[in-house]
Amino acid sequence: MKLEIQNISKKYNRNKYGLKDFSITIEKGILGLLGPNGAGKSTLLKMIATVSKPTQGVIILNKNNILKDANYMRKQLGFLPQDFGVYPNLNAFEFLEYIAAMKGIGGANIKIKIEQLLDGLNLLDAAKKPIGSYSGGMKQRIGIAQTLLNDPKIIIFDEPTVGLDPEERVRFRNLISDLAQDCIVILSSHIVSDIDTIADQVAVMKNGSLISQGNQEQLIKQVDQKVFETMISKEQLESFKNNQIIVSTSRKNGKLNVRYISETPIEHSISQQANLEDAYLYLTKTN
Amino acid sequence: MKTFLSTIKYDYLQRTRSYSFLITLCVSLAIAYTFVPEPNATYSTIRIANHVGCYNAAWFGYVTAIMTSIFLSLVGFYLINNSINKDEITKIGQITASTPISNFKYLTSKVLSNFLVLSTIVLIVAVMSVILFFLYNEGYPFEVSQFLIPYLLIPIPAMFFIAVLAVVFEVFFKNYSIIQNIVFFFLFSAIAFNTSTNEAQYAFDPFGTKIVMHQLEASVRSILQTDEQTSLNIGYVIGNIKDTKKFEFNGVSFPLSFITSRVAWCLLGITLIGFISPFFHRFNTKERSRGINSIPKVFQKLRDKEITLSSLEKSKIDYGVFSLVKTELIMLFRKGKKWLWVINLIGFVLLAITPISIAYPLILPILWFFQVHRLSEISSKEAYYNVHYFAFTSYRPLRRLLASQLIAGIIMLLLLALPLLVRLAITPDILSMIHIIIGSIFIVLMASTLGILTKGKKLFEVLFFMITYANINKIPFTDYFGGLIHSSNYLLSLIVITVTIGIIGFLTRRHQLRN
Repeated sequence: MKLEIQNISKKYNRNKYGLKDFSITIEKGILGLLGPNGAGKSTLLKMIATVSKPTQGVIILNKNNILKDANYMRKQLGFLPQDFGVYPNLNAFEFLEYIAAMKGIGGANIKIKIEQLLDGLNLLDAAKKPIGSYSGGMKQRIGIAQTLLNDPKIIIFDEPTVGLDPEERVRFRNLISDLAQDCIVILSSHIVSDIDTIADQVAVMKNGSLISQGNQEQLIKQVDQKVFETMISKEQLESFKNNQIIVSTSRKNGKLNVRYISETPIEHSISQQANLEDAYLYLTKTN
Repeated sequence: MKTFLSTIKYDYLQRTRSYSFLITLCVSLAIAYTFVPEPNATYSTIRIANHVGCYNAAWFGYVTAIMTSIFLSLVGFYLINNSINKDEITKIGQITASTPISNFKYLTSKVLSNFLVLSTIVLIVAVMSVILFFLYNEGYPFEVSQFLIPYLLIPIPAMFFIAVLAVVFEVFFKNYSIIQNIVFFFLFSAIAFNTSTNEAQYAFDPFGTKIVMHQLEASVRSILQTDEQTSLNIGYVIGNIKDTKKFEFNGVSFPLSFITSRVAWCLLGITLIGFISPFFHRFNTKERSRGINSIPKVFQKLRDKEITLSSLEKSKIDYGVFSLVKTELIMLFRKGKKWLWVINLIGFVLLAITPISIAYPLILPILWFFQVHRLSEISSKEAYYNVHYFAFTSYRPLRRLLASQLIAGIIMLLLLALPLLVRLAITPDILSMIHIIIGSIFIVLMASTLGILTKGKKLFEVLFFMITYANINKIPFTDYFGGLIHSSNYLLSLIVITVTIGIIGFLTRRHQLRN
């Protein structure tokens, strides 16, 4: 199982690119895709999911060009878009049966599979109610269920934890880890903690380009010895912001405890253990 | 005041910057082009006995103003009758509800932006009529007042009336778009068929066309030197150009009572908005519809299960479309309120018991039109409900999903027409049966193609309404289901048009999928 994205660009007009000369090779496991809003994550994922086409470049899955044969990808794809809707007059069973039919999946055991998925996602009690009456988190879980209907080999999750409560997020992370045993899972998020613990590889995007790729250790290494904490007053914060990359601030005894990234730390700063969030901020602010 | 005007301005800009508005403008222009027939055309739009007017400025100004008033009153309602609903869907309504704006101000701003949208179309049509005047010029001078006065007094107040009506209907029939359609349909028919004959009665004509029509008839009567009633034909009549005589029409001197009445219609509209303001839901729709102490959506029992991938059933390939057609049918049948099926049931029974001469040309098109809200989103609901990511990444979305949608739509229409089809089969009248089947395919393909082209449902709703209105008035070339007697080539032409519409829809959807 190998997905190769070769030099793809998405050009909107003469000077505006959604993606620019983007290349990456993805193999079995979890690829975490990080980037600020507008980095091009969703644009990339939509292209892999065959929703849109690049203006340049190719996407190859197991030596098949999916731009020419989109159905090759669609047969083995599970896609959870960032912003999706549902048909409000259908119940969860009917909606999932409909999506299964769209994917070309059926047979006698499809009802059993839908029941298993709904049960596993704690939706079985509400399965016969119209989806229009579901909460945001419940709809999100319907979205997760539909990705698994066709035993996908490529799974794309675009901001999947939106609307999920903390317990559901933990369960979802476990599910993704299980899925990654024999699938390619691409997980996009701007919440670093969603990706930190489960991704095998992390790609950081900005302005439609890939700015860094590697496992967590490789990325963190780039900010090693550059993360510090210090105490400053509220009045100092503005000028501090202008000179340093601030990761976080917290209040302590009327002062601010600031975690920041710098090549040249200020006096009385204490060096800190770098993490993926530090690396992400450093990469996106300095590239 | 400034913020109030800003509300109107940005609402207007938002609506006119849409792709569907552009298409509506283009369609309006195409229709406006036919309001005054080209000198050698084989049809007429306004004809009094066997007389039509000389192509002077008055004829152009008044005829196009009358036609615009009738045409836009008919279709304009459907263009603008979802302005409040749009705010609810986009959640702008909830933000609006939390601001200090009063119900009256909000509803008035909706009336005014509705009015501006319709007035924009009126303006474009007026410009078109001036261009046509110069194109078809028969040597008469251009008189700006012959355009300005009729447009200001006839379609503009009519558009205001329609703008108010749309808001009133949205406030009272929010969740019942089909009721809006039915009530407006009958209201429009009642106004259109009202025969005002004197100065006082002209004031009660919201479209403002009766006074001009009677003036036209009077002009011809004076030429013919008769007091007998002359027949004024309004609408598209083909092939009656033989022996056409020309007469000079020089406009209408509108009495003060009529001018006052046009202003009064606008003031009455605003007063009506004032009366209905307390009944506006202010986007608190769920509490209003269920009662304040209603139970919230779906409560979930707290459980702690997880998916075990290894125990999941393995998926089996099934590229058939049965499941898709079944679910598409379920969605079609569940659309709208359940009790509205009573109307379908009544139509169904009427198709079975009324004489075929009524059931076929009259009840069938009305019954099918009542499905407009179901058909209009048949191929655009993916975009409307934001399900397009699933739909467009499905396996062979064109051959399987689009085909299923079309099949489901046709099955629904044919099921509704079943009593009539059975009666025709017993007669036997195979040709009419074929005509009905082709008619159902035509309407479903038109709904699908227009939905795909515009990514919305308005254009189809408007066109279907116009076609149904024309069907009831027995206008031959709009008879898509064979309710009238036609030449043998008519069915063939209908099949060709149906196939063409289908191909356009298919190619457009394919283009959308590839890009």
